[in-house]
Amino acid sequence: MSEPTSASPAAEPGTRPGDSPVTSGAEDVLVEVRDLKVHFPIRRGFLRRTTGHVKAVDGVDLTIHRGNTYGLVGESGCGKSTFGRAVLQLEQVTAGQVMLDGIDLATLSGEALRRQRRHMQMVFQDPLGSLDPRQSVESLLLEGMKAHSMTGDANQARARLRELLSAVGLPMSALNRYPHEFSGGQRQRIGIARALSVEPQLIIADEPVSALDVSVQAQVINLLEDLQRELGLTYLVIAHDLAVVRHISDQVGVMYLGSIVEEADADELYSRPLHPYTRALMSAAPVPDPEVEGRREQILLSGDLPSPADPPVGCRFHTRCPWKQDTLCATSRPTLLPVNLPDVPAAHKVACHWADEIERGVIKPSSSRQAEGPQTGQIPE
Amino acid sequence: MGRPQSVPRRTAQAAGEPMLRVEDLSIKFVRRGQEPTIAVDSISFDVQAGQTVGLVGESGCGKSVTALAIMGLLPPRGNRVEGEIHFDGTDLLSLSDKQMRDRRGQELAMVFQDPLSSLNPVVPLGVQVCEVLERHKGMRHGAARRRSAELLDKVGVPDPTRRLDEYPHQLSGGMRQRALIAMALACEPRLLIADEPTTALDVTIQAQILALLKELVTESGTALVMITHDLGVVAGLCDQVNVLYGGRIVERADRFELFARPRHPYTNGLLASIPRLNSPRGQRLKPVPGSVADNIPWQVGCAFSPRCGAASELCRAEAPHLERDEGGAGHEIRCHHPVGRPSESADDARSAQDE
Repeated sequence: MSEPTSASPAAEPGTRPGDSPVTSGAEDVLVEVRDLKVHFPIRRGFLRRTTGHVKAVDGVDLTIHRGNTYGLVGESGCGKSTFGRAVLQLEQVTAGQVMLDGIDLATLSGEALRRQRRHMQMVFQDPLGSLDPRQSVESLLLEGMKAHSMTGDANQARARLRELLSAVGLPMSALNRYPHEFSGGQRQRIGIARALSVEPQLIIADEPVSALDVSVQAQVINLLEDLQRELGLTYLVIAHDLAVVRHISDQVGVMYLGSIVEEADADELYSRPLHPYTRALMSAAPVPDPEVEGRREQILLSGDLPSPADPPVGCRFHTRCPWKQDTLCATSRPTLLPVNLPDVPAAHKVACHWADEIERGVIKPSSSRQAEGPQTGQIPE
Repeated sequence: MGRPQSVPRRTAQAAGEPMLRVEDLSIKFVRRGQEPTIAVDSISFDVQAGQTVGLVGESGCGKSVTALAIMGLLPPRGNRVEGEIHFDGTDLLSLSDKQMRDRRGQELAMVFQDPLSSLNPVVPLGVQVCEVLERHKGMRHGAARRRSAELLDKVGVPDPTRRLDEYPHQLSGGMRQRALIAMALACEPRLLIADEPTTALDVTIQAQILALLKELVTESGTALVMITHDLGVVAGLCDQVNVLYGGRIVERADRFELFARPRHPYTNGLLASIPRLNSPRGQRLKPVPGSVADNIPWQVGCAFSPRCGAASELCRAEAPHLERDEGGAGHEIRCHHPVGRPSESADDARSAQDE
């Protein structure tokens, strides 16, 4: 965690041939997060004394290049949403830095921070819950612009609204309607239009499609991609759906219990997951193809996510890891480092003591966990 | 788990008679002074013992209402249920409330989507599991408690005896869903309906629960009706798949057939629109235009026609029937203009996968 700066250029050279044009301008770092920690105090008793901390985010380094999409995957409770909110300074950051375009947001407060918020916007998971039911679409879209004095005169505002609505594929007639009058997909479009209204550089999308119907998800994913291409936006997409993340991300980070356990280019990560947790995640995601489902081998993890208030010592994943070794795993916490393997790019980083041994097949998983067919056999620890 | 549990199968069924036969089931929501809303429009399907049948569709397609109707859980007020639901030879719709209560939990059981809201938050878990056993099996409290602990152990809840005294909020999501499954299995039901059992869960926990359900079906010959919107879950679990749209079954096939040769434009569109784990990045998704809410309730014609690229005048004027598709074994579709085989978009999706 002590070498964050080496991360930035590493992601670049010749990573993915034939990629979308957005990567070309990617030398330019927009977001740089260094050793970010968000700890929530647990208060107990009459005096509300702090008895411990929930380490929701515990030391995350991350770099997002301008015009790129960084996908953050992980299960519920791993801290990915808290991380997203902390980047926007919506959570009190315990330690670490968040640099947006060279400005350290953690040092800002009050009016200076409010001004910076124009450059970073959020798209929320639940479009109905995040739109005020008593505000018309027009007023929802204008609110942010007014706060940043971007409306100009009535004609300019009108033109801007038309531009926003057409960008997200809604008719002008939507302006006078209220959120409840729209379907889920349309509401998400309104949420996206609102985020776009202040011309941000960074959009953090927290589970942007998971509340939508399957047939509508693709519409919103395509919309996000189109907008990125047209407006040169930078995205941090937080999601639990591996396929969605793979589809829209240039770079992917896998989060487990407050820290990133593996990070790589999307294609690289999905074709060669190296961390045991990533392997388990990939093998557990259902694939809509019975042929694949029938022959693939699933790694069934035992048990649940441990409590972030009392995370395991050593590697956080060792309590559920089928490849757990007797040395190191339970005592020392691995850092996110490139692996020592031929033809694995340096941008592919893993936080596992045994990643290369596992990949080379030197270490075998403990056999009982390797499920065949209908065998479950979880032996909770 | 893994402990051999002898599960006595009751009555051998008459040969060929399915465990559950739903025939022409229609469900209408009736409001005074309003036209009734047709939530489910004459759907029929069979489930054999030991078979897993999937009901797949998006929100509003009538899948959950169908499940509630089978379980007899739809309040009579405001709902009109027509048709027949034969379970092991008896028509469930003709039974009285009391008769239905005796079967529910005993022969028919259901696992709901949201485990937290289907458990009573102020009653310890043990009491809730024991209740089923005491009500249906007439067990005494001590025996029921021991059996409950066994059940929780069977579904993979660690330290089951301690868990019996805990409240639902003390358990994790996966654990709650396991507890619900344990309750559903308490009386060894012959039919289990699982309504989106893994939607609220994480992928790794989902894999555990699906493996558990799969094991259950193969081990004890329970008939399983799996309700889901996740085509990935369907691909891994269901023997036969019914695709619902706007309250009607639009396509029915064996899972291999369905995923290899989707013929209804809706199924085809769905399969083409979902991002795949193994498709290269940068490939554009092909969404199904519009959304379900745009055209429900529909009046005449095919409910999918407003969103369908192949829709013609005929589609808008006249609803197609569910017909056998020549060539595909047991493949049925409800469409005037089925997607030709091999279809373009399915082809694309397939070639994307092969890479």
